[in-house]
Amino acid sequence: MTLWLPLLLPLAGAIVVLAFKHHRTAVRMALAIGSTEVLLLGVCAWKVRTCGVLQQGRYLRADGLTLLFLLNLALIFIVVLAYSAGYLRHIPKGRFSSPRWYYALLFLFLFTMIGAYLSANLGMLWIAIEATTLASALLVGFYNTKGAVEAGWKYLIVCTVGIAFALFGTIALYLAAVRGGIPADAALDWTALMSAAPGMARAHDLVKLAFVFAVVGYGTKIGFVPMHSWLPDAHAEAPAPISAMLSAALLNCAMYALLRWDAIISHAIGASFSHTLLLTFGCLSLLVAVFLMIVQRDLKRLLAYSSIEHMGIVALGVGIGGPLGLFGALLHTFNHSLAKTLLFFTTGRVRDTFSTLRIDRIRGMGRAIPFTGAVLIIGGVAIVGLPPFGLFVSEFAILMAAFISSHYLLAALMLVAFSIAFGALFYHFQHMLTGEPKAPLASSRLRRSEVAAICACSICLLVLGLYIPPAFTSIIHSAMAVLQ
Amino acid sequence: MTLTVDVIQLLLLISVAPLLRGIIGRVKARIQNRRGASVFRPYADLRKLFRKEDLVPSTASFLFRFCPVILFAATLAAAAFVPVLHASSLLGNTGDFILLVYLLALARFFLVLGAMDGGSSFGGMGASREALVSTLAEAPLLLGLLAIAIVAHSASIASIVQWTIARQPFELSPVHAFAFVALAMVTIAETGRVPIDNPATHLELTMIHEAMVLEYSGPSLALIEWANAIKLTLMFTLLIAIFAPWGVAASLSFFGIVIAVAAFSVKMAILIVSLAALESSVAKLRMYMVPEYLGVACALSVLAVVFTAFAR
Amino acid sequence: MGLVVIAAAKTLASSAVFLFITVLLIASAKRTITCITLFAAQCVIITAQIVAMACLRRSGEAVAVAVMVLLVKVVAIPYALLRVSTGLKVSPKVSSATTPAQSAFIAAALILLAFAVVQPYARDFALDSQMLAAATAMVLTGGFLMVSRRKALMQVVGLLVLENGIFLLALTTTFGMPLVIEMGIFFDLLIWVLLVGVFIFRIRETFAHVDVSRLRRLRG
Repeated sequence: MTLWLPLLLPLAGAIVVLAFKHHRTAVRMALAIGSTEVLLLGVCAWKVRTCGVLQQGRYLRADGLTLLFLLNLALIFIVVLAYSAGYLRHIPKGRFSSPRWYYALLFLFLFTMIGAYLSANLGMLWIAIEATTLASALLVGFYNTKGAVEAGWKYLIVCTVGIAFALFGTIALYLAAVRGGIPADAALDWTALMSAAPGMARAHDLVKLAFVFAVVGYGTKIGFVPMHSWLPDAHAEAPAPISAMLSAALLNCAMYALLRWDAIISHAIGASFSHTLLLTFGCLSLLVAVFLMIVQRDLKRLLAYSSIEHMGIVALGVGIGGPLGLFGALLHTFNHSLAKTLLFFTTGRVRDTFSTLRIDRIRGMGRAIPFTGAVLIIGGVAIVGLPPFGLFVSEFAILMAAFISSHYLLAALMLVAFSIAFGALFYHFQHMLTGEPKAPLASSRLRRSEVAAICACSICLLVLGLYIPPAFTSIIHSAMAVLQ
Repeated sequence: MTLTVDVIQLLLLISVAPLLRGIIGRVKARIQNRRGASVFRPYADLRKLFRKEDLVPSTASFLFRFCPVILFAATLAAAAFVPVLHASSLLGNTGDFILLVYLLALARFFLVLGAMDGGSSFGGMGASREALVSTLAEAPLLLGLLAIAIVAHSASIASIVQWTIARQPFELSPVHAFAFVALAMVTIAETGRVPIDNPATHLELTMIHEAMVLEYSGPSLALIEWANAIKLTLMFTLLIAIFAPWGVAASLSFFGIVIAVAAFSVKMAILIVSLAALESSVAKLRMYMVPEYLGVACALSVLAVVFTAFAR
Repeated sequence: MGLVVIAAAKTLASSAVFLFITVLLIASAKRTITCITLFAAQCVIITAQIVAMACLRRSGEAVAVAVMVLLVKVVAIPYALLRVSTGLKVSPKVSSATTPAQSAFIAAALILLAFAVVQPYARDFALDSQMLAAATAMVLTGGFLMVSRRKALMQVVGLLVLENGIFLLALTTTFGMPLVIEMGIFFDLLIWVLLVGVFIFRIRETFAHVDVSRLRRLRG
């Protein structure tokens, strides 16, 4: 029950919310269900924490790694929910574009991501990840403008093609597992795969082929560089809280799938192959993303490229490996999602005030909307990895891991990329913050729920930068134990 | 005995050809909810034409009357290559599929020549279109047959048939599948059936065959039409012989021949109905799409030839 | 029973060939409706193949999968696509970057490539090389359709062909995945087609055309 309830509640919630036509009631209902859901996830996390592993039926399973990512998801979801309650007043009415549809789709999106985290089986994992695309496509196209429709279409097509590659990889691994002696109906259960992985070494080439396809497939959803084309469009055209969900929850979800895969492949044929592949994609994403950040003209696209950059950093952390690298990578997914949520929340306000997200048309934020300006500075400082925020710790850990394992060139590359990202972000941010507003500004007020969501994110970031609670460290360590 | 059967099957092919046209017309009419003419009307047409006077345009040379004769003779010779009732034919051992293809090309060459000799502008247009279609159809026809010849290790049609009979029915290889589709497409183009040409009218500006024979009359026209009917029958028989010969007489007993006739009729009926259904359901292609159509056939036949390398 | 087994074996042996033909014809078809029909035909062949496998291996699970393929891929998805294509009221042509003959030659080349690629795997794992090649060719041709066709609907057909190829690959290499997984995949596919339908109508509404090569507002 502890696993079934949090999985199915969002599904029920989606249906319930749809039944309420009155906007305010729908929003209240959604808030109530969302909070219950987060409570349930908390209970579930606590149980996993005490029991170690929770398995229910053949298809649901939660362990240390699940726990870390579930906590992350719950945190992001509750702040997004709170923020959305205030944000939704801007959404124009239309088919599928009303608060109740928004919340219903948001709950479906949550359902698919929880499904991905709780599945005990690589096939189910694939199904859930593909379902995340389906659940969020309409959210990406929510505004129904030309740009939004185009972004939604691109998202739907590119991600489905990408994820089809992952299915191909899954099938190849299944074949390797069956040939490696695992009984056919358990050959996708990932515990069985982990324990019987050495048996797959006979089908060496096939396992490699499977992993290449999985990296390309899930890498498309993560936004690794040659496959990233959907990501800036989707992030830029979606409503701000949905951009936050995509960047902070969806990318992590795909990264989680890749982590599982990487662990299995490392067990089967040794870590060097899979880690080299991750390092390649990580490097490529990091470098290309930071250079593209310099030339961006749209605030949300800038943030989207920054997400690609950070996913590249996570991939590098996993690829470098070792306790420190993995620790840094896992911590980085958590930190990045908080910082990115914070930044996307500011874009909502910016759009209200300046009626645009074009960076060259935004001037004088510091004077016009000082609170949001301050939050933008906090988010900016956090996202480029300056102390005292969490990303400093995790990026530092990954850098240290690179030095320890004598990947000097890699470490140098990372340092260069960090500084370019720093330059790019602050070049754009200072342009927006300083000066005089050009056009007359629309006046808008932040709702209390929006302020609360923003404050929660900032505090968490700050705490993780100054002091990582021992409980949290031990959660990360149990996640690492699952992967090693 | 063999010689007798060979002669009989050649005569059968020639005599049945007009009937085949009649049946196709009738089936088409039925599919289109019309009653249609009698299946024997093509015979009546031929009889009528043979009795009429042969009119020659004043601009034409001796070629004009000479061409239909050669056309008919070449088509007849080609027909002598195709096994119908048993796995051999009158000329089956003296030439191979390449000769067959070139006999058909010869026939077409003289048809085109005669059409141009007639001197009318329609004749010239039809002739140039026919030249285009046949040039493009040649490659897939040859390549498709070549692919089959490679897997059967023989270029003679009679031995290809023998080789195919020795295999089990329905044991499809990609070579046969691709070659079949390519040759079926070529057959439609070569015999001037619907997506390429409309045999039922000479009122269309894009007509091919009807434009060429517009100037002909009397016995010459009869010979051309008959040769055309034989060609259609010949191509169908070739498809049957190469891809589904099962049922032909293995020994030359009376019983065996009867079975062979029955099997041949059934297979022919299937082809006729499919052709009629196809002609009733698709629209004629525009002229500039014809190269595209034959290009697809060409791709298929090339694939068939390359697949012989993978043949099991 | 013996006859059934023989029929099943024949179906299995010849279905690859039919799949090659459908692949080529889809690539060279001129109208979207033809493509959708050919896709349905392809799925019929796959269904026949699963039924044949079920007969040979006496597996009830495979029958369930066959019924699902029949319902989802032969009936539901082509029906939905036909509804979309008639509801859009745009030209019935596929509007491709290549002519039919070029497409046919490219598809032929892809089929050969597929054959060349799968040979070592077929040898190593003792699998049916024709079937593997057919599946790979479907994946490749699906990709080719997606990059060369401008209409939104044809991109969808391309992706469905690609997915069919992957499904067939699972079928030939491992006799299909566990039933629950297959069901999930089919469900995803069905929802995907519905969503794509919604988006195609939205593209038509907001852009007044369905030419996805002209969707280029978002760059960089």
